[in-house]
Amino acid sequence: MSGVLDHLVLGFGVAASPVNLLLALVGAFFGTIVGVLPGLGPINGVAMLIPIAFAMNLPPESALILLAAVYVGAEYGGRITSILLNVPGEAASVMTTLDGYPLARQGLASVALSISAWSSFVGSFIGVVGIVFFAPILAKWALAFGPAEYFLLMVFAFCALTSLLGERPVKGVLAAMIGLSIATVGIDSNSGVYRYTFDIPNLADGMAFVVVVIGLFAVSEMLQMLENVLSGTSIDVPKSKRKLFNLKELAFTWWCTVRSGVMGFFIGVLPGAGASVASAVTYANEKRHYESKDPDAKFGRGDLRGVAAPEAANNASAVGSFIPMLTLGVPGSGTTAVMMGALSLYNITPGPALFESSPALVWGLIASLFIANLMLLLMNIPLVNIFASMLRVPPWLLVPGILVISYIGVYALHSATFDLGLVVAIGVVGYFLRKFGVPLPPLVLGVVLGDMMEQNLRRALSMTNGELSILWESNISKGLIFACLAIILVPIAYRKFKKLRAN
Amino acid sequence: MLNDRWLGVCAIGFAAFLFWFGRGLEAPFAYEPVGPRAFPMLLAAIICLCGLILLIKGGSPVAPNTPSAKFRILLMVAIIAAYGMLFQLLGFMIATALMTACVARLFGGTWLKSSIAGVVMGISFFYLFDRLLDVVLPSGILRAWL
Repeated sequence: MSGVLDHLVLGFGVAASPVNLLLALVGAFFGTIVGVLPGLGPINGVAMLIPIAFAMNLPPESALILLAAVYVGAEYGGRITSILLNVPGEAASVMTTLDGYPLARQGLASVALSISAWSSFVGSFIGVVGIVFFAPILAKWALAFGPAEYFLLMVFAFCALTSLLGERPVKGVLAAMIGLSIATVGIDSNSGVYRYTFDIPNLADGMAFVVVVIGLFAVSEMLQMLENVLSGTSIDVPKSKRKLFNLKELAFTWWCTVRSGVMGFFIGVLPGAGASVASAVTYANEKRHYESKDPDAKFGRGDLRGVAAPEAANNASAVGSFIPMLTLGVPGSGTTAVMMGALSLYNITPGPALFESSPALVWGLIASLFIANLMLLLMNIPLVNIFASMLRVPPWLLVPGILVISYIGVYALHSATFDLGLVVAIGVVGYFLRKFGVPLPPLVLGVVLGDMMEQNLRRALSMTNGELSILWESNISKGLIFACLAIILVPIAYRKFKKLRAN
Repeated sequence: MLNDRWLGVCAIGFAAFLFWFGRGLEAPFAYEPVGPRAFPMLLAAIICLCGLILLIKGGSPVAPNTPSAKFRILLMVAIIAAYGMLFQLLGFMIATALMTACVARLFGGTWLKSSIAGVVMGISFFYLFDRLLDVVLPSGILRAWL
């Protein structure tokens, strides 16, 4: 128990330094704006800031604090447009539109916004408490992992991510494989052989992760924006009588918020299942729970609990998804995959050893997640109109701005024109992949995990001189293989079952 | 008309590319059972399999773009490619001003507004990043003055 306290003291010491507080504030503010803008989500915001944080020579813990604040800020921002405009600002806040927008129509926009800010905060708080208690346990357990178990764990992350993405698992697998093959470019660290470099010196170290991510998430996004009719969104925030929720509404949503927060946290911990899965599952769960008991439940027509549940869940899962990244070195979501790529710029490999080797980084990050959430709560209630007004920035100003920041980031990496050309090429490929409905998060996960996955596989096979049986010898391996099969087969079986019952 | 068949064809093409350029990868001194070639070959095989499934199943057609959207997208690719090429050559300020003006125009800004946005963005981002945040940017042909 005292160990936990020591860690928290250390963490808050790091997070409360003036520079880190300022970074958390800037990150939270920037993240909220990114979350508000439709089309831009946490992954874009984090991707744009990584190279800049690196080029500014921020120490690793400060860079990570900035990025984490952007991540949670975007989860807060996503709800604003969901409620005011019926347009989810990012994927995880789709569920919030269902009840948030009807509430805004009824003149309760401010109440819905403030209660969702509150439930986001409660969700994150639950997530942070969960990290404090579960992360060290998981890290200790993960020390028993050998190369074979690590390889299988990464396979599990891919299975979880592609299976939960739903409709087209083949495309998910394809995306993951493309990501893994991007990671093979460059010098093979075991044998020194150049792979797929075509004698281009810029490719000897592989394709820079930042270049891939900015190409996929900034450039291709801009190209997609050009498809639609272009106009700034005008917003009329419906006038509301009260600015803040009252105690009755707080009590009304309390248990639903706590339950969804806890559930969201555990969904977030699963590698692969991110905030969008968490908000969808908890919304459905609360709806079923209340509609069976309470005849006055108005889910889908403006029930405050329908706003509180998904917001608590998506913030709790955003925080929870740090656990597999920090303890196992296997990210829990697309955004944490991007963040892990950021750490690799600093030559830091997350994993169980991280808790021993850089406790200041880990606990500083955890403490600043808490601080960033507090800031977001305080910032979001009074400033909601300012954030909403970001929607008035016309695309003709916004798009060049995003491009400039992205290019600065890519250029800052190696000062090479080659990288700027590569980012355009990857952006075009990413655009076509989006058109074909290929999900991009598994691709990013592939790029991040590719090298580790291959090295662990080769190391495992070296131990047995090429005998494949090492992959399923230990009990942990068997458990992981079982988990992989379960996560692939259960959703399929469930869908079949639902179809049968419908007939 | 783009649909999953085309995606399948592209995937098989990509797998062939991985296979062709990866087939000769071999370590000069092999001291481990699995060399640098196995993993890329495994990936190529799985990608090829995915491609075949998509090719056989087909379906999920992609909504085609209008000709004007196609033109705008092509123009955008040309602009950002040119921006990349000129970034170092002309320097950040001028390249950014040109790119911003063109892209703003493409997204429906008027010539006047777009040009003002270009100049303001070129200058302000340079001072913000290069001077304030210590992210070194190329000064290009303005080197003598900056």
